[in-house]
Amino acid sequence: MAYYADIVEIIAPGETKPGSRVDITVRIKNTYSSPIGIMANGALEYGVSPWPGIVFPNPSSNVNAGVTHSFSGYFTMPEKRTTIHAYSYYYGADGSWHLDDEMTKTIDITEEIESQFGSIEILSYARR
Amino acid sequence: MGAVYLTSQYGMILVPLANVQVKPGDKLRITCRYSHIGKAENQTLYAAIGNSGWAGFDEVLHGSKTISVPEDSAWDYHEEYVDISITTAISAGFYDLYAKIGGTIPEAISPTLHDVVEVMAEIPDSEFGEISITNYTKV
Repeated sequence: MAYYADIVEIIAPGETKPGSRVDITVRIKNTYSSPIGIMANGALEYGVSPWPGIVFPNPSSNVNAGVTHSFSGYFTMPEKRTTIHAYSYYYGADGSWHLDDEMTKTIDITEEIESQFGSIEILSYARR
Repeated sequence: MGAVYLTSQYGMILVPLANVQVKPGDKLRITCRYSHIGKAENQTLYAAIGNSGWAGFDEVLHGSKTISVPEDSAWDYHEEYVDISITTAISAGFYDLYAKIGGTIPEAISPTLHDVVEVMAEIPDSEFGEISITNYTKV
């Protein structure tokens, strides 16, 4: 349970192709009674170490009390099923960012169908 | 003349197909429609004219080309054509026609269209046999 920066949801596709850009949104709610600084961060878990990061072009924002802010991020889909780990931080009175909440979401690889031909028919034939 | 049988809820109907006349030096363009699903790939579109019989299709002339088949996430139809050059290797007469995708082991084969290609005899070079006077008058 988060103290102040509650991750409400991760919006991301359920599956995608390897090598494609994946755009995600992490929605974080300020549950504190006044505006605070909230930051989003994230990493990808698919068997490599250290976990590759997720790019958030605008990772932090001042968020009013009770408001949910959407943080946009993106990454390149690896060759494997991947779990997104999203983290939230709040900016404390001590001038430091404090890890607050975590949420995960898994993205599967889109299964590529092998090429198959069903039928062929001759539509026309003409002298050229 | 060839024909195609089409099924319907009323039974079979016969749709006669017109034949096409060609002679050496012509090209016969065969336009095909095929269905596909899956990854994009390059494949061979192949068509042949010849004689269909109990032992299979005896090809006399054929044409082929490589086609780029797009990626299809669901079954989809595409159209392509292939040309067959008509040469003196084929003698005058009526011939059958079929098309396929793929090589020795085809991915898809069309139904054979029977007697739809009529190869005309080659017109001989200009030649003069004899000349005779048919008339003479004062002008």
